[in-house]
Amino acid sequence: MLDLAYISALNILRNARRSVITVLSIAVGYAALCCFGAFINFTFEGLRETTIRTQLGHMQIYAEGFWERHVSEPGEVMIHDVAALEEALEEIEGVSSVTHRLTFSGVGTAGGSSVSMSVIGVDPFRELEFADFEIVVEGRNLLPGDEDKGVVGSELAKGIDAGIGDWVTVLTTSLDGLINAVDFQIVGIVRTGSSEYDSVFVKVPADLARVALDTDAVERVIVLIDDTDRLDEIAPRVHAVLEALPEAYETRDWLELAGFYEAVVNLYTGLFRIFAGIVAVVVMFSVANTMTMAVFERTGESGALRAIGATQGTTMRMFLYEGLLIGVLGGAAGVALSMAISWGVEISGGIEMPPPPSMSQGYQAYFLMTPELLAMGFAISVAAALASSIYPAWAASRVNIVEALQKQ
Amino acid sequence: MAEISLKSVSKAYVNPVFSLTVLDKADLTIPEGAFAAVQGPSGSGKSTLLNLIGALDRADGGDIRVMGTDIASLPQRRLAEFRNRTIGFVFQSFHLMPVLTAAENVAWPLYFQGVRRRDRMRAAREKLALVGLSDHADKIPGRLSGGQRQRVAIARALVCDPAVILADEPTANLDRKTARDVMDLLRDINSRRGATLLCATHDPLVVERANRVIELSEGKLTMRSDPPAVGTEERHA
Repeated sequence: MLDLAYISALNILRNARRSVITVLSIAVGYAALCCFGAFINFTFEGLRETTIRTQLGHMQIYAEGFWERHVSEPGEVMIHDVAALEEALEEIEGVSSVTHRLTFSGVGTAGGSSVSMSVIGVDPFRELEFADFEIVVEGRNLLPGDEDKGVVGSELAKGIDAGIGDWVTVLTTSLDGLINAVDFQIVGIVRTGSSEYDSVFVKVPADLARVALDTDAVERVIVLIDDTDRLDEIAPRVHAVLEALPEAYETRDWLELAGFYEAVVNLYTGLFRIFAGIVAVVVMFSVANTMTMAVFERTGESGALRAIGATQGTTMRMFLYEGLLIGVLGGAAGVALSMAISWGVEISGGIEMPPPPSMSQGYQAYFLMTPELLAMGFAISVAAALASSIYPAWAASRVNIVEALQKQ
Repeated sequence: MAEISLKSVSKAYVNPVFSLTVLDKADLTIPEGAFAAVQGPSGSGKSTLLNLIGALDRADGGDIRVMGTDIASLPQRRLAEFRNRTIGFVFQSFHLMPVLTAAENVAWPLYFQGVRRRDRMRAAREKLALVGLSDHADKIPGRLSGGQRQRVAIARALVCDPAVILADEPTANLDRKTARDVMDLLRDINSRRGATLLCATHDPLVVERANRVIELSEGKLTMRSDPPAVGTEERHA
């Protein structure tokens, strides 16, 4: 085998220019594939961490039966002993932050305008440990000690023609079904990243939300851990703690709640597969062209090899090794090129991206190269090169010896 | 026992617009250790005869035996083994691998027998010494003269110690002096090693060194027992 690989390597060097062009075409295809994959990796990771650290946390804890009954009997599926629950969760190694939230919908009025609002009640003190979901465009975010303050989405502020310092009255129904209203003063106007959400978003202290809903309980407790990759390790500890508490709870992890994330992953993964297929076809055509020319040019040699004792299998293997080596060289060059491009993007400060659909803000994109991605690209390059060598190698092994020997 | 025997062998090239019979129920017997030259006009089928004996091509009919082996009965894989172990080919155009050194070219047939590289290379250098190319073992064919390449091809044909050496126009691409040297070498190998040597040629220089001359004409093979004396070629020249 080594001897066949040796002669295959020599034959690759024999027409160096053609081999270099083929290797480069594989490397460029590989780099395009890996850079796209790395961009997707970056997008996945960025979206995952943004989703987790600004909205969902790694795990959410609800009173048992919440998902079945929170619409019909919201008052029956609330968490009442919040302090004990949060204290127990904070004791778990790996848990970095715990907070609670309470949400409701209502109609908000400021001046003469009334619009629908989606209100989220948060603990301003604990919320400091979460990354800000919103970008403050005017004023400030909630701070510990705020009682009747609130921040509103930028589109909502425009809709009700309100600004910093204006008062908003939110009309809603309590958990018992009674009409209730609360007032808050706008201290900040924010952007959530989604224009649609900006037009209904309101954030107030959880205590104010409790007043609106006339309850001492909260809807959910959110757990943030120090490293997303440790979720599988920490989740059982959370479950063990919950089982030891008197109230019955149920949990959902972030992936179960992140429908948008899953949709993005599915979409991008599908695109990546299509792109990988295109790259594989390009590589196959490139290598097939090179190998076909090599077989054609070396017909006389193939005939001579068969005449001195090479079997059809040996002749075929010799050309297959050649395709394999071209694939390996192209893959290796592709790894180097991909790493160089990734490094170049890194030191140039990233690629400026426009706002994604339904988002209001662009971002800087980087290429997140992973060993798995590089290995997959390498495997595709080598497999495509090898596959495209099969027919030329087969043809070389089936040459008519007498006719082949008549060629130089 | 005859080493090469053909009985009623036929071979024709047929296509829709053209038909050429090169062997028409031809018979031939060449004893072991002979140095035979096949003569005939261009296109008479000399190369075809060698291709059939060397198992590179199949006859349309008849029986070809080499060292008692019925070539027609061999499956594809055994044919490769037969060519490797029993036959040594010397081609008009040498057909050396241009990327390999002379020694590697000579050693290559032993690879198909599974011989280890070190042993192959030792055997190859011995054969190169035999043909007077010890000093050129590490050169690639592109750096050798035509005569040296043909010597490398002869060394390659000898490396598996074949019972039969088939040489197709071995002097066609060589100048006269080199051709003479190559044929003297082949004759020497034939006489010292006892390998049967069959050359297809129209070169008197080859014919005059043979101890059997076979005429191929109109599909028939005729053995001539009186080869011209050595030196005729010089007179022709």
